[in-house]
Amino acid sequence: MCEHPMEKENPFDPDLVHEIFKLVWKRKAAERGKNEISENMDNEVGASSSKRSRPTFANANALKLSSELLRVFVAEAIQRAATIAEAEGSIKIEATHLERILPQLLLDF
Amino acid sequence: MEDIDGGEMASELDREEEESATDLLRDRFRLCTISIAEAEAKQCGMEVSQPIMACISDLAFKFAEQLAKDLELFAQHAGRKSVNMEDVILSAHRNDHLAASLRSFGNDLKAKEPNLERKRKKSSRREDKVVRDVLRTPDY
Repeated sequence: MCEHPMEKENPFDPDLVHEIFKLVWKRKAAERGKNEISENMDNEVGASSSKRSRPTFANANALKLSSELLRVFVAEAIQRAATIAEAEGSIKIEATHLERILPQLLLDF
Repeated sequence: MEDIDGGEMASELDREEEESATDLLRDRFRLCTISIAEAEAKQCGMEVSQPIMACISDLAFKFAEQLAKDLELFAQHAGRKSVNMEDVILSAHRNDHLAASLRSFGNDLKAKEPNLERKRKKSSRREDKVVRDVLRTPDY
């Protein structure tokens, strides 16, 4: 009973999620920048290219919401696998249980 | 020739640095995943075997990376440079339950912002319960 609020307030750290997102966006932005440079090699590489290759950023609520989404993803994976494990009379979640629920899980997210 | 070599070396170095950063994040992410998974498993009275824990955290990390790409595309499509809550909700559009629960969580966050300490706690608890109920009826 008293576990719920604790667990609820303690999902993935939005800062961590932010760092992962930033890394992906930086990578993508670098790729875009490279493409752009090779595209207009002879053109003057001006301010426009740096503008387009600037990475995306996210606002704080979006990050909190994303970390909630990730938390739900993990929680669902465990709960569904637990249902299967229970049906098979096991008390430990093993690979076969995860395998069973994985396709539907990936379709649902 | 030398020039090209130098360039490749630099990009190689860059990539290595990036990979180590990714690994670090992956490890931190794994710790979070494990704590969530363990709490969740305890609730169902289950144990989770170690390889499965690793699987799930890798899965969640891949999911996070994919989510980042989606969010960026959604924001760009809307002509924005910044990702907002609508983009996150949109990323869950395939699953009505999930989208609804994210929306209510988002409304909760919004309601919190002009904050009144006591009111916030009450309403968030109640909303949490609603979210929980919605999630408890998944159609397998």
